[in-house]
Amino acid sequence: MKSFAEQKVVGGKLVSVKLEYGRKIKSIQILGDFFLHPEEALPRIEKALVGTSPRAKKDEISGKIAKVLAMNNAELIGVTPDAIAETIRMAAEAKK
Amino acid sequence: MGTDEAILEHVRDGKAEPTIRFYRWKPSAVSIGTFQSMEKEVNTARCRELGVNYIRRITGGGAVYHDLNGEVTYSVIAPESLFPRGIRESYAFICDWIISGLKTLGIEASFAPINDILVQGKKISGNAQTRKQGVLLQHGTVLYSTDVKRMFSLLNVSAEKISDKMIKSVEERVTSVSKYSSASIEETYEALMKGFTKGKEYEQGSLSGEEESRASELARTVYATDAWNFSR
Repeated sequence: MKSFAEQKVVGGKLVSVKLEYGRKIKSIQILGDFFLHPEEALPRIEKALVGTSPRAKKDEISGKIAKVLAMNNAELIGVTPDAIAETIRMAAEAKK
Repeated sequence: MGTDEAILEHVRDGKAEPTIRFYRWKPSAVSIGTFQSMEKEVNTARCRELGVNYIRRITGGGAVYHDLNGEVTYSVIAPESLFPRGIRESYAFICDWIISGLKTLGIEASFAPINDILVQGKKISGNAQTRKQGVLLQHGTVLYSTDVKRMFSLLNVSAEKISDKMIKSVEERVTSVSKYSSASIEETYEALMKGFTKGKEYEQGSLSGEEESRASELARTVYATDAWNFSR
């Protein structure tokens, strides 16, 4: 299935997710007008999320994102790992 | 975009001094943030119809319409060590130069974190930063007299994005220098230059031959390609 969801983070930026999934995420693109330093961390976050259930608990998804951020010494500005996780879950709900 | 990156490489390699650059776009163009989707953000068919270019930046942030006669774009490219370490603090640091420039035109503006400058609650400047290999690159736009209707005909503005601001019309979100000052676009540039260079030793110059040639190469191999511009 393919799905899309987006949300405006309160006091922050817009984040959206393009998802292709079955029981697990097959491919994902995280889009938006947020900032991430270094930018190269985003494809690494997307890669780390492949194989995760898009309906997993928010903490599980955001934990994976936070881990990649920490490993890359990366800083996410205008959006949070939780907000990305929520958007992924919204995308999965959208096609239920 | 290729020029900004070429300068960044030259500053990184110690071949160029810290650089402040002012420029305008000919033809006009829409730039999108590095994490945005071109298809989602930009009405590319309308851009082609009007002869407007579209391009992906290396920096995050949102879509910007660079109207040839409606805005001034700037870039600041210098070693990171010259700026506050924190990203948010360094936005404030550089945006203060824009605020200072606008002040010389009699415009009272204020910094609105993360990356905007507002006049009376409306956006007059948007800014975006990246840091690569010890070099900070921040570029941004100062709206001079943007044709807002044309701008929004080129962008696919998300209703979601403006919903939390409780604004009915996207046109109410932005303003420009010409609404508060009779300065020409050249005078606006002069004022910005004063703001950016205040308290600094500087000399006016142009790109080196090497920078120009690298900029052309980057334009050809990256910034003019669909592979880059439609990568998301």
